Amino acid sequence: MNVDEKTTLPQTDPEAHESFDLVFLDPKTIRFEYEGNNLTLTDSDGRHYPLVTLRRCYPLSASETFILVRLPDDEDQPGRELGILKDCRELQPESYQAVRQELRLHYLVPVIQRVHHIREEFGFLYWSVDTDRGAKEFIMRDSIISSTRRMSPTHWLLIDINQTRYEIRDLEALDHRSQEMVKKYLLL
Amino acid sequence: MNHHQNQPISNSSHLAKDLQRILPYPALQAFEKEGGFADRLQIALASDLDANGNFGEQWLLIDDASLFVFAIQNGQATVQFCFILAEIRDAQVEPCVGGSLLRITAQGKTHVLLHFSNELTERFALAAHYLRQRAQLGAEAEPPDFSSDGQRCVSCGNRLLDPSLKVCPNCIKRGQVMRRLILMAKPYWSLGGVLFALMLSGVIVDLLPPFLTRILIDDVLTNKLHTNWLFWLVAGLFGLQVVRVIITISHALLTNRISTQFAAGVREAMFAHLKSLSLDFFDRNESGRLLTRINHDTEELQGLINQMASFTLYTVLVIGIGVVLFSMAPSLGFFVLIPTPLVLAATILYHKRMLPNFRRYWISRWRMNSMLNTFLAGIQVVKAFAQEAQEQNRYTELNQNALHARLRIDQAWGKFFPFISFAFGAGGLIIWYAGGQSVLEGRISLGTLMAFLGYLGMFYGPLSNMTQISQAINRFTTISQRTFEFLDETPRVQEKAIAAARPKPVKGGIEFDGVTFGYNPYFPVLKDITFRIEPGELIGVVGPSGAGKTTLVNLICRFYDPTSGSVRIDGQDLREMTFDEIRRNIGIVLQQPFLFSGTIAQNIAYAKPDASREDIIRAAKAANAHDFITNLPEGYDTIVGEGGAGLSGGERQRVSIARAILLNPRILILDEATSSVDTEAERQIQKALETLVQGRTTIAIAHRLSTLYNADRIIALERGKIAEMGSPQELMNQKGLFYNLVQIQSQFARLDGVPTV
Repeated sequence: MNVDEKTTLPQTDPEAHESFDLVFLDPKTIRFEYEGNNLTLTDSDGRHYPLVTLRRCYPLSASETFILVRLPDDEDQPGRELGILKDCRELQPESYQAVRQELRLHYLVPVIQRVHHIREEFGFLYWSVDTDRGAKEFIMRDSIISSTRRMSPTHWLLIDINQTRYEIRDLEALDHRSQEMVKKYLLL
Repeated sequence: MNHHQNQPISNSSHLAKDLQRILPYPALQAFEKEGGFADRLQIALASDLDANGNFGEQWLLIDDASLFVFAIQNGQATVQFCFILAEIRDAQVEPCVGGSLLRITAQGKTHVLLHFSNELTERFALAAHYLRQRAQLGAEAEPPDFSSDGQRCVSCGNRLLDPSLKVCPNCIKRGQVMRRLILMAKPYWSLGGVLFALMLSGVIVDLLPPFLTRILIDDVLTNKLHTNWLFWLVAGLFGLQVVRVIITISHALLTNRISTQFAAGVREAMFAHLKSLSLDFFDRNESGRLLTRINHDTEELQGLINQMASFTLYTVLVIGIGVVLFSMAPSLGFFVLIPTPLVLAATILYHKRMLPNFRRYWISRWRMNSMLNTFLAGIQVVKAFAQEAQEQNRYTELNQNALHARLRIDQAWGKFFPFISFAFGAGGLIIWYAGGQSVLEGRISLGTLMAFLGYLGMFYGPLSNMTQISQAINRFTTISQRTFEFLDETPRVQEKAIAAARPKPVKGGIEFDGVTFGYNPYFPVLKDITFRIEPGELIGVVGPSGAGKTTLVNLICRFYDPTSGSVRIDGQDLREMTFDEIRRNIGIVLQQPFLFSGTIAQNIAYAKPDASREDIIRAAKAANAHDFITNLPEGYDTIVGEGGAGLSGGERQRVSIARAILLNPRILILDEATSSVDTEAERQIQKALETLVQGRTTIAIAHRLSTLYNADRIIALERGKIAEMGSPQELMNQKGLFYNLVQIQSQFARLDGVPTV
C-alpha cells in the first residue's frame, strides 16, 4: 500500500498519474474492526483509517472476492481507493466477520427464500416473501421487461418500485409452490 | 412550521404531539429516560432495518437539543447513539445498494448512524438537510415537512406506486373523472345522442327476428292457420336483416368518428400544454414516458371509448333479452340462468389462462427483436472481434424461447377452445331438454322454444364480454386521470403578467447576484454565485465536469429560476421580463447541434421564420457554411434532420451557428460548441464564431481551453462556486484552477502531437 507516495506526486493532474495496477491488500496483516457503526481499517503498516467503505466488483457473480476498500466519499470528490481484497475469506476471522457485516449493510439485496403469495392489481405485482433478512412485502411494476433482470434461467433479480433489488439465486432450490408462483407471474 | 421568536411555542409542540403519536411506546419511554424531551420533538423517523441489516425497526429522534438513535427489538428499545445537536457539524445521506445510510460529523469524527432502505431515502435526506441547517442556523432551522415528499397519494397518504399519478388507483374519484371527461366531450354530445338512439333501435331490431320465427313456426308451419303469411314473415325477417346491417355500419362509423376525433382533440390539447411547460418538467419526466402518454394513452383512450360504447350496447342487449325471455316463458327463463355461471367461469378462465401465454409470447418476441436490433447496430463490433458464434448462440436461445412460448399458446388454446364451446353449448342443451319437456307437456309452443334458442345465441356472447367491464372502467379512469393531471400541470417557471412589455433594446450586461440553484432544491448545483458581465465582453466559463457550467447558462436563458438570488440582464430581473424578450436577445449554440426535420433554409430561419432569402445566405456565409451548403445537390433546400441528408458534425454545427447569427442576439451562449468535432472542423467553426461574437456579449463554455485565449475574462467554476475570475493572463499567473486545467490539456495535446497552447 503506497498510498502516501501517490499524494506526493505533483498536484497538477491527479488523474493522469493514476496507475492501472491493482493494489491488493494482504488479508493476513490487515485488520477490519467496527467502532460503533463505523468500519475501520488498520493496514499492514499499522496505519489506522477510522472509516472505510467496501464495494463489490462482482456483486452477483462473486460476492466475496474482489472487494474494493475505499475511503468514504466527501462532498467534493469520490473516496480514494485503498486497495482490493482478492478474497475476503482469507482475512482473520474477526476481520472477516466485520467485512461480511459491512457488505450486508451496504448491499441491501434480500435473497428470496419463500414466496407466500403474489397478487396482481392495477398493473402492479404485490409480493409477500420470506428473505434472508426476514419477511417482507414489496411491490413491483407489472412490466416483466423493465422490472426483472435475468442473470441465468434460474437466477433472477426483481426490481421493486423503489429500485430495491430482490434476488432469486436459484429458482429450482425454492419449494415447489414458490416456484410455481414465480414462474406464473414472471411468465417463465 | 414557523419558528420565529414572536411565534408561540404551541406551534412546535403541535408538531411534537403529532410525532409522539407515531412513536411506539417503548421508544418514547426510552427517549424520555435518556433525557429527551418528548414535547420538543422535531423529528421522529423510523428506519425499516435493524443494526444487522435485517428488516426491523430503528428510530431517529431529534428534539431541540439532542439526537438519539434507538433500536427496537421484541418491544424493547435500546439506545444506539446519542449526540448533542450543537456538536453536529454535518449530516449526509450516502447511497448504498438498495438502501442508504445516514452519517453525521460530530466532534471532528464521522459516525455512521443507521441504514434504511430506498423507500425511506428521501425522508432521511430531509432529516439530514435539517441537521445541516441546524448546524448553520441553530434553532432557527425549520423541521422538515415529511408530508410533502411527493411520493404519497394526495388523497389517502399511502405510498404512490405509479409516479405518473398523484393519487393511487383506489383514490381516483371515478365519478369526477367521468364528469370531466363528459364535459370535455361536449362538442360530441349531439352525436353521442344519435349514437345511443341507433344503439337502442339496433337492440329492438335484434329482438324482433325470434319473435317473427315463433309466429312462423307456431301459426304458419305447425298449425297452418295463416299459410299466406309465410312470404310476408320471411320478407319481414329479410327486411330486419337489411336494417340491422345499416344500423351496424352507421353505429360503427359513428363510434369510430367520435372516439377518433375526441382522442385527436385530447392529443392536441396535450401537445399544446406540453410545449408551455418549463424545462424542469422535462427533467422530471423522461421523454419516453411523455411519448407514451401523448401517443399511447390517447390511442388507448380511443380504444376504450369504443369499448365503453359496446359495453353500453351489451348491457342494453342483455337486459332486453332477459326481459323478453322471462316474459315469454318465466319457467324457461330460469333455465337460461343455469349455464350463466359456466359461461362466466369460462371467460374468466380464458383471461387468466390464455393472456399470460400471449404476454409471454410478446416478451419473447420483444427480446428477440431487441437482440436483432443490437446485433445490426453493432455488426461492425461483432465482425471486428469475430464473435459471430456467440451472437448465433444468443439468437438461437431466444428463438427457442419464442418457439416454446408460441407452442404454449397453441397448446393452451387447443385445450381451452373445446371447453369454451362446451360451456356455451351446454347452455343450449339444458334449454333443449327443459324446453322440450315443456313443449311435450303443452305448456309452451314449439315456436316459443325455437325463439328461445334464438335469443339464447345472442345472450351469452355479450354476457361473457361484460366480465371485462370493471377492468376496462378502471383502465379508462386511470388513463383519463393521468391525462387530466398532465393537463393540470402548471409550469414552474412562469411568465409574469407584465403590463405592456416595453421593448427596450437590450445592451447585453448580465449580472448574477447571490444566485443559488439546484435542480433538486436540497442539492444546490450553484452556490451563492455573484458576478457582473459588461455588454460586449467575451467570457469563458471553465471548470471540471459537474461544476455547474451548463446550469449557469440555463439560468441566463431562464430555463429555470434560481432558488435564491437573482439573474439580471441590463439590471432587470429575468423574472420581470417576458419570455419573448429574453429569448429574442439570447442566441445559443449547443454542443450537440440540433436540426429539425426540414430544409437547411428552414433550420437557419428557425428562430426567425420571416427572414428573407438574402438574410439566410448572409447568415450562412458568416457561419462559414455557405460553401458546403451550395455544394449539396439541393443547396439550401436540402432536407436535413430525421430521415434527411446526413451532414457531418461540423456542418451541422455551422448550420446551427448560422441560426444564431440570423437571430442577431445581443447575448450569445456557446455551450461547448466545438467539442464534438475534429480539428479541421473546429478550425472552420472557430472562424465562424469569430464573426459571430463581434459586438455581442458572449459566454463561451469551452472544453478546449485554447479557444478561450482571446476571452476578456475567464470564470472558473468548481463545485458550484466561483474559484477564480480574471483575464486569461492573470489566471495563468495565479497558477490556480485555470492554470492546472491548461497544464493538463497541453500535456494531452503533446500526446496527440497537436500543439494547442
